[in-house]
Amino acid sequence: MNYSPAVLERVRDPKNVGWLPRDAPDVGTGEAGSLESGSMTRIQVRVDRATRRIDEAVFKVFGCSAAIASASLVTERLLGASIQDARDMESLAVVAELELPIERARVAALAVEAAKSAIEDWERKHDRNL
Amino acid sequence: MIYLDYQATTPVDPAVLAAMLPYFTDHFGNAASRQHRLGWKANEAVEHARTSIARLIGATAKEIVFTSGATEANNLALKGLAEVRPAGRDHVVTVVTEHKSVLDTCKRLESLGCQTTFLPVDRDGTVNLDALRTAVTDQTFVVSVMAANNEIGVVAPLKEIAAIAHSKGALLHTDAVQAAGKVPFDVEALGVDLASLTAHKLYGPKGVGALYVRRRNPRVSIAAQLDGGGHERGMRSGTLNVPGIVGFGAAAALASELMATEAQRLTMLRSRLLSGLEREVSDIVVNGTLAARLPGNLNVSFPGVDGEALLVSLCDDLAISSGAACTAAEPSHVLKALGHKTELALAALRFGLGRGTTEEEIDRAVTVVAEAVLRLRAMSPV
Repeated sequence: MNYSPAVLERVRDPKNVGWLPRDAPDVGTGEAGSLESGSMTRIQVRVDRATRRIDEAVFKVFGCSAAIASASLVTERLLGASIQDARDMESLAVVAELELPIERARVAALAVEAAKSAIEDWERKHDRNL
Repeated sequence: MIYLDYQATTPVDPAVLAAMLPYFTDHFGNAASRQHRLGWKANEAVEHARTSIARLIGATAKEIVFTSGATEANNLALKGLAEVRPAGRDHVVTVVTEHKSVLDTCKRLESLGCQTTFLPVDRDGTVNLDALRTAVTDQTFVVSVMAANNEIGVVAPLKEIAAIAHSKGALLHTDAVQAAGKVPFDVEALGVDLASLTAHKLYGPKGVGALYVRRRNPRVSIAAQLDGGGHERGMRSGTLNVPGIVGFGAAAALASELMATEAQRLTMLRSRLLSGLEREVSDIVVNGTLAARLPGNLNVSFPGVDGEALLVSLCDDLAISSGAACTAAEPSHVLKALGHKTELALAALRFGLGRGTTEEEIDRAVTVVAEAVLRLRAMSPV
């Protein structure tokens, strides 16, 4: 498959690969996809409670080049973003920025879904004052 | 970029190219033009090449029919035999790991009233001779088993397979594309009745191949699939690709000369590659037995890694093939036949070593593959 330079760069040198402690009160964890389906993305965020801005965003992924590039790009966009910005993220924007072929749109959607799920996880912890 | 895809194709050897060039310009005659010197010269060159190719496989020159490549040769063999098969013989036996040009042709033969048995292979990619013995019957007219597999390099026990086929009055056809010029392949010693060959796997040009058709003990008849002119003793009409054939002949002669030393060198390089990967990357799976294998082939799966991501990670450094079929989401039919789960089959790399491969290239390949595999595994959420 012919990928854009934006994808190739992120496959060879992905940004923000890593993990954060799930139980930390300021960390939210979200996952989407499954190994059985061939693509699984985990995104974690550390949010500043006072500013409600994302200080750290990391990912782990099993999947194709498009899945890696999508997860990397999503974490890059999450860094410094507000909770609201994260909730408003759209997978089509990821597809467009990475110039993904349409048959890879699903994995871009998984990355965005994992990000939103991470935000929800943080909000659940925040609401319960954990 | 390190080229490690010699099973896909090979560069034309400079000596082969030099042999071909005059036949594009000075000696451009049609080999079928018997009325003038240009035609005689072309015809002489074709016959010289025919002899070289025959010598490579232990055949006689008259048993070599030139085609446009191995796909055509496989089609000619199977369809050609099907059209003239004896009454009461409608059965073909082949193996699920054959090249698509054999498998698809066998499926096509159903329209000619044939039935095909597609034999499974054992987990190491070898043909099970007991299963073959059961499958071949008095109604079988041909058994088609490739001499060496293009993906996993496994070499078939053709002598034993021929004996089984002949015991029931069937012929043996073999796709010898990967084997000829790489490992000893003698049609008389093995008992092969038809064999498909191609130039571009042995440092010759693309677009030219041949079908060996036995003339003695027994004399094999096939129906031509191309009509119009009756070239190649009526078996394959069409103006001969003289420069291509000259190149094929030169490549065959060179391959004969280099085969023993090259096989030894490639075996050592392959061992270096495998031991390097085992040292740098834990948990790898070798696909196909190492016991009977093309010296230049290694096919390895890397569990826990997405195959497509691995290939993209490597594509700036290595020219290599993966375990995927042409559509990236599907694993190759050969790896599926070994019983692998889909994700393991897709996480396979086929390393094809060849004349240009050096120790330095092998060491660099180990480094880049290990780095990519370890990076992708570290990235995994599992």
